Amino acid sequence: MDPKEIDWNKLESIIEAHRTQDWSLIPLLQEVQEAFGYIPPESIEPIAESLNMQPAQVQGVITFYAGFSLKPKGKCVLKVCRGTACHVKGSRSILRHVKNELELEEGETSEDYQFTLETVACLGACFLAPTMMVNREYFGKLNPTKVSSVLGQYSKNKEDEG
Amino acid sequence: MEIIALTFNGQKVTCPSGTSLLQAAEQNGIKIPTLCYHPDLKPHGACRVCLVEDEKTGRLMASCVTPAAQDMSILTDTPRVLNHRKNIVRLMMAEHPESCIVCSKGNRCELRKIAANLGVGESGLYPMPNYTPFEQLNPFITRDLSKCILCGKCIRADHELVVTGAIEYNHRGFHSRPATLYEKPLEDSICTFCGTCVSICPTGALSVKNTRYVGTPEKETNSICGFCGAGCSLTMGVGGEKIVEVNPSKRKISVNGATLCMRGHFANDFINSSDRLIRPMIRPLTETKDEDSNDSHIEILWEDAFDSIASRMSAIKREHGPQSIAFIGSSKCSNEENYLFQKIARGIFETPNVINGGYAFGQKLLSYIDEKTHGTCRVAPLADLEDADVIITLCSEPEQTVPVAGYHIKRAAKKGSTLIVVDPVKTDLVMLSSLWIRPIPSPPADISIAELISALAKELIKGNFQDQQFIDQHTLGFNPFNDSLTDLDPAKAAAHSNVSAESLSRAVELIKDKKIAFVMGADILHYPEGDQLVDAVLNLCFLTGSLGTKGAGIFIPLPENNIMGAMDMGMVPDLLPGRIKIESETDQGIDLGAFIESVEAGQIKAAYIMGENLSRALPQSLRVASALKNLEFMVVQDIVNNKTAQMADVILPGAAVYEKSGSFTNMEGRIQTFEPVVPPPGDAKADWEILAHIAKAMGHPEQYQTIGKIRQEIRRVVPMYQGLGNHHQDWIKNSNSNNPLSGGKTKFLFSPHRASGDRQAEGAYPFVARISSVRYHLGSGTRTSRSERIRVYARKGEIEISPADCRDLGLNGSGLVRVKSEFGTLEREFKQNNRLPGGHILIPMAVNNNDAMNLVGLTGNEQSDSYGWTLSRVSLEKI
Repeated sequence: MDPKEIDWNKLESIIEAHRTQDWSLIPLLQEVQEAFGYIPPESIEPIAESLNMQPAQVQGVITFYAGFSLKPKGKCVLKVCRGTACHVKGSRSILRHVKNELELEEGETSEDYQFTLETVACLGACFLAPTMMVNREYFGKLNPTKVSSVLGQYSKNKEDEG
Repeated sequence: MEIIALTFNGQKVTCPSGTSLLQAAEQNGIKIPTLCYHPDLKPHGACRVCLVEDEKTGRLMASCVTPAAQDMSILTDTPRVLNHRKNIVRLMMAEHPESCIVCSKGNRCELRKIAANLGVGESGLYPMPNYTPFEQLNPFITRDLSKCILCGKCIRADHELVVTGAIEYNHRGFHSRPATLYEKPLEDSICTFCGTCVSICPTGALSVKNTRYVGTPEKETNSICGFCGAGCSLTMGVGGEKIVEVNPSKRKISVNGATLCMRGHFANDFINSSDRLIRPMIRPLTETKDEDSNDSHIEILWEDAFDSIASRMSAIKREHGPQSIAFIGSSKCSNEENYLFQKIARGIFETPNVINGGYAFGQKLLSYIDEKTHGTCRVAPLADLEDADVIITLCSEPEQTVPVAGYHIKRAAKKGSTLIVVDPVKTDLVMLSSLWIRPIPSPPADISIAELISALAKELIKGNFQDQQFIDQHTLGFNPFNDSLTDLDPAKAAAHSNVSAESLSRAVELIKDKKIAFVMGADILHYPEGDQLVDAVLNLCFLTGSLGTKGAGIFIPLPENNIMGAMDMGMVPDLLPGRIKIESETDQGIDLGAFIESVEAGQIKAAYIMGENLSRALPQSLRVASALKNLEFMVVQDIVNNKTAQMADVILPGAAVYEKSGSFTNMEGRIQTFEPVVPPPGDAKADWEILAHIAKAMGHPEQYQTIGKIRQEIRRVVPMYQGLGNHHQDWIKNSNSNNPLSGGKTKFLFSPHRASGDRQAEGAYPFVARISSVRYHLGSGTRTSRSERIRVYARKGEIEISPADCRDLGLNGSGLVRVKSEFGTLEREFKQNNRLPGGHILIPMAVNNNDAMNLVGLTGNEQSDSYGWTLSRVSLEKI
């Protein structure tokens, strides 16, 4: 699926469910993010219109929260922890290894929209340091071999085989 | 209100509860530095520079957002406070680029001032300037967000004062910046370039764009804006003898507060135009009159010009009688000038032919409403709108014509006033409205808003929601009015305009038992059913008792600065100074259409035109130009050389607003005086001085050597203006002691409802063209088109077409269209405007020599398919 294609009907039904509700901007944005994996920039104006807000305000809220993204993300979002405990346990090398393996920089998404690489300040799983997350899955006590096997598990080819 | 006591640095002070520490300190003369605070904005607490210490708890608090409490003991300048403040400023400086030396904000930069006061030179921190691209493609505002300190003043001014919502904080932390939607440049956003953010920005992040170096102002002088009817207070920064910067004034009382609009802020550079007239000129008798013969005039001395005017005009009066002379004054000139001008006309030349350009654009409506309401709407402060229960706007786009009036309406709606917009066009107000009634008849027949308003009245009476006490006490003719509504079927009236029955009943719900403020476009009389519409509005006004209460009544956004004043000074054919009606029609003068007809017929031989560019402002410019050539003698007194001036026999260089003393009366009835900011260019003189010389040359015994002398006479002759000149501002006094609300014997009179005729669109001209003023131009654009910035911004003036019509005509992207009316043809580029309904197109006025006016007829609107000067029936085709 080309992630740039927007299902307008789906978007409209989400917007309609919240139309003119007070304080519903963030729940609405969360639903859109959930449904599309990101918030299509084209949806800002219809969302603003439905809530009687200015589009610039809606954009301000989206860009404020790290949980919202205006860019399409990959199928697997990797969050490498860069917190203190993980740093001590070598998360810098883990990140470098991930970057090399995926050929991505922080914040980038692979061309086939399979992977997005992000870093976070702390995943709250310091006892597993160094850690990372793939979508909602935790992976702890990482080393380069383990990272490679995790990445392999989520790679497109692997999925196709499965 | 509870009064609380506290101490600042040991000094006991009191303040009402709810006051912030900062306000309490300011009220008691204790200075606390601020960056993000502005008295007109809600406190924000972003910059933390206003830190103070609570002596009891040792806490440091931002004083702008901390409410004062009983027995607080506040320290404002202990070493600890100063140290923290210093650190905050050091952090800002560390993030600031090192371009202070070349920053146009210079010593007016508030960050620099505070840093200097605190002794912060070099921050001593690792510099981390947040470089962002310089943005200056638009001709108005330069954005250098590297210098942004994130005080949020621009964003808050945008949201709270002008209520546009073009910018908002984007991202967060170090990357946070004010941004437009999709982070596009300002010119591609919904920004209106009102410039309020530029004036309010404490640093050099936002500054006015100048095409060349103009220097920083050496001094600042207050003045009044000379563009629209709002009459904003300005502060003009002067460098040398030129105005180099314009900002909203810091005067406590003004109509605009901290706001301005694109014209007021950026278009006043017209006064430095190279087209300014600087010496009196005369056409040698041998030369033919031709608007294109540029150099046919020769410069003369002022005395010779006065003598020539006096002798030629006296001769014409002797030969052809006073009726053969006409005096065209100006709704752009001051009260004093218009008073003197009509006095010369009526007193010295004894002609009734006295008129000004504003007569067609609001004065007719004003005087009609004034008559019907017995003067109770003369003073209508815009600030009152913010206390209104219900505001109904009728076919008026104040955010384009009188932007400051638009800000008041938007703020009111944001604060909770009910806003009902009645307009076929989806204006900016619609987003903030509680109800939008969009009358679009189908098939495209005439809009029939009068019927809708009357239907509303009928529904109110049906529900018994009228203000019966007001009706009984102050009005006459309610029963005949009620009877006249018998045949009106509200459902049918709504259906005729494609308005749903629910909209109508919702409107009734919203306005029942409420007092209403009506905001009517000044050109509403140009509508096909203009007078019926005004009557219907007045009836609704009487029915709901919406007169004499704060925040209710009738508000007319006037498109020019002194439309009200020119009328009050008697510069109109049917009123003497002080709005005294000339009862006998034979004693009345003629309107502008009739003036041109009389010139064509050879009845009028001489005209003295002050501050009006007739061959640009009137419809059918070619007809007007050839008529003016018929005149035996024409004097044009103006500030810029224009088409009309080139046809004149004598050209007199007048002074622009900022070069003379005078007073204007704005749309609210606020009389504001102004003093010169810069001297007039060359030999140009203030218009009142020129007129005083003319009076003298004509042998008039009264000498007007000072403006005070004219004001004295106005105060005596016009009781409404008894406060003129006493202060820099005053209000029109309602001299009509007979008005119904102050116990007078007169009553407001209902007008019976008249069914409007069913005029269907003609096959040949199926579209309605709105020839309308846009926010970057004023009127015919004689002045605004001389502004360098406006010229860059608004070259094309594309014809705006609804998406439906674009589709039907196969118009996409860009290209040319041809618009044809009974009177003329126009070819221009087009653009799609999603706000327009099908069948309506919008043609911006003032661009390309104001050729849009060629689509309407100068005279004889009753018979023709064209309605007035602002609407026209047209056909539209792709080229």
